[in-house]
Amino acid sequence: MLILGQLINGLTQGSIYALIAIGFVIIFGTMNLVTFAHGEVYMIGAFMGYFALSVLHLPWYVALMMGMGAAWVLGFFIEKVAFRPLRAAGHMPPLLITIGLSIILKDLAMLLFGAENRPVPSIYGETIEIAGFQVSLLQLLILGIAGLLIIVLRILIQGTKIGRAMRATAQDHEAAYAMGVNVNRVFSVSFCLASCLGGAAGVMVGIYYNAVYPVMGDTAGLKGFAACIFGGLTSIPGAILGGLIIGVVENLTVQFIASGYRDIVAFLVLVIVLVFRPQGILGKKIRAV
Amino acid sequence: MGKEKIAGIVVLSFLFLLFGGAPVCSKEPIHIGVSGPLTGTYAEYGQNWKKAMDLGLEWINAAGGVKGRPIELIYTDTKSDPKESAAVAHKYTTDKRIVSTIGDFTSTACMAAQPIYDRAGMVQLSPTASHPKFAPGSIWSFGIIGTQAGEGPFMARYAVKQLGKKRIAVLYINNDWGIVTKDFFIKAAKEMGAEILAVEAFFEADKDFTGVLTKLRGVKPELLYIPAMYNEMSLIAKQKEKLGWMDVLVMGPGSLYSPKLLEIGGASVNGLYTSAVFFPKDPRPEVQKFVKGFEDKYKASPNMFAAIAYDGINIMTEVLRKAGTDRKAIRDELAKTKDFPGVTGKITFTEQRDVLKDYRHLVIKNQEFTLFETK
Repeated sequence: MLILGQLINGLTQGSIYALIAIGFVIIFGTMNLVTFAHGEVYMIGAFMGYFALSVLHLPWYVALMMGMGAAWVLGFFIEKVAFRPLRAAGHMPPLLITIGLSIILKDLAMLLFGAENRPVPSIYGETIEIAGFQVSLLQLLILGIAGLLIIVLRILIQGTKIGRAMRATAQDHEAAYAMGVNVNRVFSVSFCLASCLGGAAGVMVGIYYNAVYPVMGDTAGLKGFAACIFGGLTSIPGAILGGLIIGVVENLTVQFIASGYRDIVAFLVLVIVLVFRPQGILGKKIRAV
Repeated sequence: MGKEKIAGIVVLSFLFLLFGGAPVCSKEPIHIGVSGPLTGTYAEYGQNWKKAMDLGLEWINAAGGVKGRPIELIYTDTKSDPKESAAVAHKYTTDKRIVSTIGDFTSTACMAAQPIYDRAGMVQLSPTASHPKFAPGSIWSFGIIGTQAGEGPFMARYAVKQLGKKRIAVLYINNDWGIVTKDFFIKAAKEMGAEILAVEAFFEADKDFTGVLTKLRGVKPELLYIPAMYNEMSLIAKQKEKLGWMDVLVMGPGSLYSPKLLEIGGASVNGLYTSAVFFPKDPRPEVQKFVKGFEDKYKASPNMFAAIAYDGINIMTEVLRKAGTDRKAIRDELAKTKDFPGVTGKITFTEQRDVLKDYRHLVIKNQEFTLFETK
């Protein structure tokens, strides 16, 4: 029974990691670049959710929308400032700029909101019994929202014009450009979409753990990035699987070893998987040139 | 000018000298050094100290100070940085005017300055250092906040004797303080016949407690003892509520006693048991006098840090009255302090120069700290 409980805890946490990881995958997949400001986008989303819930007293779904909206806008500016002007400059300069942006956003949040934890009101505190053990409604809600967002994303990528443009750009952006795809617009939309998912994860974490604070993006960004590598860098199903596995492994470690070992074991599993499958669990094998 | 007028002025100025101005201009003040965090991370606590000590000083000097000599505090800001508290110790010990020091705030800053006060032979009275190794470290060091050697057994009695809970699980914060705190509690609880079913740690930055709570739930404890700060405690309480785990009592040491716990924790901290050395609603007259004076002067309620600093300045004054201004005589007299009626309870120094505090049993009801009626 306890193991089932830990499994639900792990899946809930993992679904949040998965949303962050998908953001990394979308950005890396289309632009071939990594952003280190993704954790801060998530943090800003969480703060937006906090303001909507605690200050404006709006319902949770409005808070979720607002968090996603704030992250979308922030993503739009990050892409404009850090990525677009330096597209020809290679990998390193945008990477460094995102590290800088991450520090600026974190310190700005610290100055504006203070370093302390913000109280987020609880919603759906009730638990229901499924097959003999207690599941919190909130956990089910988070799993449901994460699932819904992933389905919407899939429809967007597979079934719309911009989705097709994104897939084309991901395969070869020069060829896509030659075929008349507005690559700049695709990059911008991809980045915003990725940020938006990060923002949603931030709002949900705020509600789930009741913890919103400026440096919350550090570990979340790292875990999300790890889940993305775990899954194979460019595979969305891989990122989802990676996030869920890390979440479940962490919680099972708490159950069977000790709370202090959760990150150690989670990253140990990551290292072992990468030793045997350097391309990640669902990544394509990279052919040596 | 008529004779009556001149006589009137003479009488008035005489009266002024006698009552109003007398302590200030007739005699040399006695200087006490204060070393504490007026800025930096711990500024909030240092400012509370200063407010409380200024209030205490106002009353002491209005009542004629020490044998007609007013007391003057010399504040130096250390940010509770060990480097700075050591530098301030040099400054104070070489200043002939200063008779003793109150400070510093953190145990670490106190212990960095300790050898300097020890060599120079000057009393270092820290209102807040609670590390069990601070006061025993030098015959010149005194602590008045009490240590876990006192609070641990007190909380264990609260859990095992007063509440009658024998099946206990412990979830503690993995730092110096957390380890010492849970060790003293567990030792005392076991001696009282309780069974410790599980002991789990978490780290300072942790925000997710659902896993560890699920695990602890599995051992079915009657009481959960949580040595943590109010920040983590409020998250633990909320996450515990979300998991629907209701059939367990929650208890933690006095570190939880803060309005912030109620603000962040909301209804989820109802029924939580804790303790405090200072409780503003305590009916004792010395407490009520201090609380009223503080509220009138600053338009805010005093917290534990203000209360303990207020006790610090009062004890020091009491000692100066008896011992005069010789540094060695001050130390010897301070060590003899017995049953001093502080706002944080009676103060009697042990042989190790720390204090076994009187704690209040508290329980949170309707999102408010209330006194628990002990049987």
